[in-house]
Amino acid sequence: MKKIFLIITSVLLLCSFGTTTKSKIKSGEKLVYTGSYNMSGLMTQLAQVTMSTENVSTSKNNYLHLSCELATYSKWDKFFKIRDIYETYVDPITMKPALYKRSIDEGGYTKKEKYVFKNNTVTSTARKRNYPESVKKFTIKPTSIDAISILYQLRSVDFSKYKAGQTKSYTIVFDEKEIPVTLKYIGKETVNAGNLGKKECYKVSIGAKTDALKGQDKNLIWLTADDKKIPALMKFSIPVGTGQIALSSATGI
Amino acid sequence: MQKIYLILSFVFTLLALVFSILPMDTIALLPIGLAIAFCLLTIRKSEENKVKIPKFLLTISVLCSVFVIGKTLLIKDEVVVDQTFEQQKIETKQEAKKDLEELEQLENDLE
Repeated sequence: MKKIFLIITSVLLLCSFGTTTKSKIKSGEKLVYTGSYNMSGLMTQLAQVTMSTENVSTSKNNYLHLSCELATYSKWDKFFKIRDIYETYVDPITMKPALYKRSIDEGGYTKKEKYVFKNNTVTSTARKRNYPESVKKFTIKPTSIDAISILYQLRSVDFSKYKAGQTKSYTIVFDEKEIPVTLKYIGKETVNAGNLGKKECYKVSIGAKTDALKGQDKNLIWLTADDKKIPALMKFSIPVGTGQIALSSATGI
Repeated sequence: MQKIYLILSFVFTLLALVFSILPMDTIALLPIGLAIAFCLLTIRKSEENKVKIPKFLLTISVLCSVFVIGKTLLIKDEVVVDQTFEQQKIETKQEAKKDLEELEQLENDLE
């Protein structure tokens, strides 16, 4: 259980950097990834990760719904079934989050979280299986955002102006606390980007002040070196092993 | 020494069988590889009239490897449509919309 939790946390943290700039993210985008974990030296495909965007309107506002779903392949379901949803509702222009939700079901262990962002305050509601609901209110930095919206915000970062080794620090809200995250631009590399073919990508290393990530420059993300900056490949190193998330199909971009 | 190799061949062949049946994917190739290696070693170290068992274990291990590689190459990884999960996604979206409207109402009241 801890292993699965660490993998998912690290995957989210891996992508947790960016700047608050105007959004280039369109509604209707769907990115499908294959999540693999290194088991005894062999990279084993475990789950499908789907990231999608959609417009949602209330009576007064419009939001961009960013969702990240994780589901184990059917062959693993009988063994250890995972069905996780991480989602956030952000301002479509500034990408600032209004509501972040997380619903996990990992081998029968369930947890639901809801973070309501209001100015510099977050009200979190968490409900674990067999535990009563807990409500917490805490203050955050004005620039702090959740793990999903920042995942999309990083695509607004202009890496073409970055020099190799250049770093930048950010803060994300995860597990009812703020986590400082640092990104380091490494350079350009060509990687396989699923249905997009081989693409030249920006290679970026992620560091976070958390136990979830291990090693220096071992948590990496490759973003296509074009306007879209689609995350093509992510590699993570955590205390219990290593793995990767590779893009298999990108539609609606 | 021959007996130790035979025991190891037996143990790894058994593991190879179990891993091949369970949804262990290519991880099963680890015990399969070890089983094949120990079976070959046992055959090499054994007298000619005592190779029947290691040969039998080797056949099982090779069949396991064919089964696992075949599964990996022929069966496509896919996620089944989970009705409960789909329903949960609809519900969570409806709840979120309600939460956002409540948040907007709160902001309006403060203004």
